[in-house]
Amino acid sequence: MTRDAIKDLILEIIEDIDEDADFDTLQADKPLRDQLDLDSMDFLDIVMELRKRHKLQIPEEDYPELATLDSCVNYLEPLLADA
Amino acid sequence: MHVPLLIIGGGLSGLAAALRFARFIPDVLLLEQHSRIGGLNSYYYRNNRLFETGLHAITNYAAPKVKNAPLNRLLRQLKIKRKELALHQQNQSEIRFPDLESLLFSNDFSLLDSEIESKFPASHQGFHKLLQVIERYDPFKPLPFISTKKILQEHLQDTLLTDMLLCPLMYYGSSIERDMDFGQFVIMFRAIFLEGMFRPGGTIKDLLDLLLKHYTDHGGKIKTKATVKKILHTGKKIHGVLLNDGTEIRCDYILSTIGSEETFTLLDNPSGLETLPRLGFVETIFEIEKSTELKQGHGRTIIFYNTGDHFLYQQPDSFVDFNSGVICMPQNFQDLPESSFKEVRTTHLANYNEWKELLKDKDSYKSAKDDTALTSLLVAEKILGNFAQNIVYRDTFTPLTIERFTAKKNGAIYGNPVKIKDGDIGYDNLYLAGTDQGFLGIIGSMLSGVSIVNQHILPRL
Repeated sequence: MTRDAIKDLILEIIEDIDEDADFDTLQADKPLRDQLDLDSMDFLDIVMELRKRHKLQIPEEDYPELATLDSCVNYLEPLLADA
Repeated sequence: MHVPLLIIGGGLSGLAAALRFARFIPDVLLLEQHSRIGGLNSYYYRNNRLFETGLHAITNYAAPKVKNAPLNRLLRQLKIKRKELALHQQNQSEIRFPDLESLLFSNDFSLLDSEIESKFPASHQGFHKLLQVIERYDPFKPLPFISTKKILQEHLQDTLLTDMLLCPLMYYGSSIERDMDFGQFVIMFRAIFLEGMFRPGGTIKDLLDLLLKHYTDHGGKIKTKATVKKILHTGKKIHGVLLNDGTEIRCDYILSTIGSEETFTLLDNPSGLETLPRLGFVETIFEIEKSTELKQGHGRTIIFYNTGDHFLYQQPDSFVDFNSGVICMPQNFQDLPESSFKEVRTTHLANYNEWKELLKDKDSYKSAKDDTALTSLLVAEKILGNFAQNIVYRDTFTPLTIERFTAKKNGAIYGNPVKIKDGDIGYDNLYLAGTDQGFLGIIGSMLSGVSIVNQHILPRL
């Protein structure tokens, strides 16, 4: 999966969690949670959707790697290389 | 049979937990010992109609855009759309201490605020300071018991106002006597006064069916009339359950929503035995003719009343304490679909042991039930005007009725006075959610199921 495709995947998952999420002003290097008003419960949905869609097992200690859109892409790129 | 997650108890916390989990991992089994789901919030049929149990009003109303409100967080977590529920807000409710004072409140907080300003002017500034404390407080942080009465008295300097504010919050969500833990007070204050009350357009059955449909659509499984005989374990490690019919079910995790002591009993672990008294309640449903106009009801949704010198939220010495209670008119929500009946529902504190004693003689139990209904009727008529002549059906639930149908020990709807907020009762792969975890009310119990699954189980599977 390309970096752009991974980015789209994350945004698609977030849109699925909150259909009113506003991506226009989203800064890729800033925490997703603050910008999109997501709480920790919503955040878990991202992890679980990645597991459901791509059989990715993300250990709890790696959750901070998913903090920003950029860090998501960096973290997921090797894991989704063959996807 | 083996499942990753087994949930014991098909009440709202168990259902919500099951649905949350099944969204990602469909292989989950929900066990309910009754033939019908819902637990405390269920229903039964009499005279060709459905009667709801439990539900008066749902607290935690929130407008659609308030993203972090408990109601909206819950709906997101379960992927249920608001429009599936058809929410109807309360008209207006009242805290009435006859001959002393009355406070009106609604889902618009400014009503309660202006009531306090005009009726308790000396306390109004203190009330605003209290609001700031409530706004900043984190009620989910585990802390030792903090007395709400003490904090309210300090801020308000008025025993009557303290009692009046506590009355609805205790009746709708306190498992302990005489005082409330401040964290629980903050949760309930937000849920009832700052957020407000509503009900779905349909019955509780529609809500339960909706949850069950979402759950089974994801592939979740449910087994009713399934009573767990014991939880199989080696030390702190759970292997599964043995049912009364001899079936053995293996699992990776158990979520128990049946109460802490009840769970310890299935684990053969005597350490969970408690000593604090549990609070029992009686409830009477008066179905009244549809044409009945209550003379003094003013379309109120709920009236919380107290006629005693002080408001005493504690286990009464006699079988029922009629000095205080809750009177609910479930038809009084905004824009409800036309219904063919009206109801007045009353709730009072009751003493489980006294009822248990009465049951030794069936006739005296039955006549105590009749006395309860009639005395409760008199109390309600003092507040609403006469409606005895319009009653078409009535039914009374004692703490024993509640215990029989919901398996809540001693009929204590709010469970064990000691709550286990993190759901951890000392086992590797078994957690507690629901009433004894401590989030109460319909939205609270569902969030309890969801958050324990999120916190302890989903990230590890």
